[in-house]
Amino acid sequence: AAASRRPWRLFGAMCLLRLPRITQPLEKEEEEMAALMEQIELEKSCYSDHEIRKMEEEERLKRRKESLYDDDDEAPGKTVIMAQDLEDKWEQKFLRFQAAPRITDADKNNNRTSLNRKLDSNLMLLVKQKIGNQELWLLPQVEWQPGETLRSTAERAMATFLGDHIQAKVLGNAPYGIYKYKFPRAIRTEDNVGAKVFFFKAFLQSSDFSQTEPKADYLWVTKNELGDYLKSEYLKKVNRFLLD
Amino acid sequence: ASRTLWSFSSCSSWLPQRVPLRGSHWQSSLLTPRTSLPVRAQPKKKKKVDVRREQAQKDRMKKKLKKLEKAPPELIPIEDFVTPLKYSDSNRVRSLPALSPEETERRVLLLKKWSLFKQKQDEAEKKAIQILVESQQEALKELRLESEELYQAAILRDEGLFPFERDGPTYTPPLSGYDPPEGKCVDITKVYTQ
Repeated sequence: AAASRRPWRLFGAMCLLRLPRITQPLEKEEEEMAALMEQIELEKSCYSDHEIRKMEEEERLKRRKESLYDDDDEAPGKTVIMAQDLEDKWEQKFLRFQAAPRITDADKNNNRTSLNRKLDSNLMLLVKQKIGNQELWLLPQVEWQPGETLRSTAERAMATFLGDHIQAKVLGNAPYGIYKYKFPRAIRTEDNVGAKVFFFKAFLQSSDFSQTEPKADYLWVTKNELGDYLKSEYLKKVNRFLLD
Repeated sequence: ASRTLWSFSSCSSWLPQRVPLRGSHWQSSLLTPRTSLPVRAQPKKKKKVDVRREQAQKDRMKKKLKKLEKAPPELIPIEDFVTPLKYSDSNRVRSLPALSPEETERRVLLLKKWSLFKQKQDEAEKKAIQILVESQQEALKELRLESEELYQAAILRDEGLFPFERDGPTYTPPLSGYDPPEGKCVDITKVYTQ
């Protein structure tokens, strides 16, 4: 049977995720449980070689202080490294090391265009696109051309807004979600009822954006901040396929 | 002199035939006439028996080797399951104050709270995954309504997706320009061969 042209226009949209770089902070129950586990492990353990050495040296030191003369075992002039000294040395070395801060400058400035923000959660790309006569914040989307699969439409959408040098791993050929809407009555015709936007998911592999110039306004936002930018119906459909 | 001669020959009775020792220095060569070499009765047969005996010995050795090889290989000891004897010394036992009843009570209550927390977390994860799968099914259904060929392309397996590798998150982000100190790692694990 001849396929009649369906009245829906198809769009492919890409939800590009930057995966978290640091671990999320522990909940209160998790912290309490971690402390309890450590305590139980300590109770069930035996003394290690280092601890035995430390205990023996402390005994010897105490005996030497109480007795009025030095032990004959200790050869005069020989410096013995005590376990306590080693521990102090290790502590000093640790304090000298400065790790990178978990809360970056971008966090403090709330610079939502930077990728260095909120390193412990997923960040999604939002771009400002013109739909009809409105400027809306959306996941980057592009209309489907005949002859390509929807996955390549979504990849094309990503490339139009971020350039060709983007390295992203698309998770499979199937769409993750769909947003269906009908055009306003003014422009709706028999052949052009509305549009279906199919969402695809991808993980960002590279974080090098120095080569690309953004073609439009863009933002990197977390799942909780999506509500500030997306319309409610659109947001509902997008939230369904986002695991946080 | 002849009596002493017989006694010597009786000592050396391992000779196949009672041939008097040519090498005994108490006997002069002129007394007993002898041929220069010790005479054997059947020289050729002896060689065959030798060869056959050697062959039989070799076969027996081979059979023994095969039996040894057929035996099941010795089990490799698992080092983790064997506590070294030096850790069962009595001076190794840690001396800590005993737990008070309040402490045990606190621990029991904390474990109960933890199991509830984990249960809620697990249920939330499962629900999120279920919603994700439902959303995908809905999208595929709509796609099928649109065009069959796009649907068929969408349900194809993505060969390039697996194996999927990714470095997990760390506690602090990577420090740019950090030069880690040099160190040498010596591997002392024992390797067993079967």
